[in-house]
Amino acid sequence: MFRIFFTLIIIFSSVSAHPVIFKNGKVFWITQNPSFNDIRFGVSKTSNWLIGGRILQDRKTDETFALMNNNYLVKRWNNKNSQANIYLLSSVGLNTENSESIASTGIHGDWENRQFMVMEMLEYYSYNNAWVSNTRVAYSPFKVDYSKTSAWFIAHYRVEYHNDSYSYMFLPVIRLFKKNYLFELGSNGKNSFLSFMTHF
Amino acid sequence: MKKAIILFLLLSFGLSQSKVSIQDKEIEINENEAVMEVLGMVCSMCAFGIGEGFSKTDFIDKSKFSDGVSVDIDAQYVQLGLLESANINPEKIVQVIQDAGYDVSLLFILQNDKLTKFGTDKLGILQPIAFNLTSDRSN
Repeated sequence: MFRIFFTLIIIFSSVSAHPVIFKNGKVFWITQNPSFNDIRFGVSKTSNWLIGGRILQDRKTDETFALMNNNYLVKRWNNKNSQANIYLLSSVGLNTENSESIASTGIHGDWENRQFMVMEMLEYYSYNNAWVSNTRVAYSPFKVDYSKTSAWFIAHYRVEYHNDSYSYMFLPVIRLFKKNYLFELGSNGKNSFLSFMTHF
Repeated sequence: MKKAIILFLLLSFGLSQSKVSIQDKEIEINENEAVMEVLGMVCSMCAFGIGEGFSKTDFIDKSKFSDGVSVDIDAQYVQLGLLESANINPEKIVQVIQDAGYDVSLLFILQNDKLTKFGTDKLGILQPIAFNLTSDRSN
């Protein structure tokens, strides 16, 4: 049960934004739902590589996990008014109570312009031998300037393959961002989350 | 008489101004400024890194624009205020944009009353493609 829950935590908190930011840029990211607290900090050592740490706390059991993230931008296509990316993702960590190890690896692809975004992320989790696919299609009805608040409506679809069975979930998400601050709220009645992220 | 004095003062201080075109938008460029077309700059959160990158350089005039940098995501350009005393290397400007994760396709620099246009060649390397454009004030 916990492993399913833990997989959900990783999925919800890893698909919210670009996995690598500007050179020497730092990212602080906090996510909370009724079940967990998740705090991340990362540094982009180059414009292609971000390394970071993450603390997860199960609010019900008080268990805490410490992880290291390693994100690599394999290829970026910068075009007039659009951008596309391919990233490789990995993370390793421990349960701070019993030293149980956890690890994941994945590939992330996205394309976006000022009003549309599509994203696909496929990840493998070694500790429960699970494959997870996350797909996002997003639309922003308004093109706004650098200093204004941008709003996005996101359809998030998730498929998990685990123990020879598939599970599916659809989640509508609202994303707001202004300059270097991003806020996301998602809910489908059964599952919900809240996320805040800043770059500096 | 007053107008004549103002005109004389402007000419005496050598203030120059020109217009450049990026994605069909005409942009006014003044002495000690740079304007560049930036590819892939699609959101404000992405563009934030550009301002951060230039804030750490030693050639930006922070009295202009917002700490020396103006970003227009619609027209996909960035405008910089440059210190008059700085020895401007166009490659340094492009490096800041690349470190933020983007590419420069066109760069204009107006200094010493000379407008120079740079473009990237087939290998993606920045090359000057037109010099001293200030006589006709166009690109």
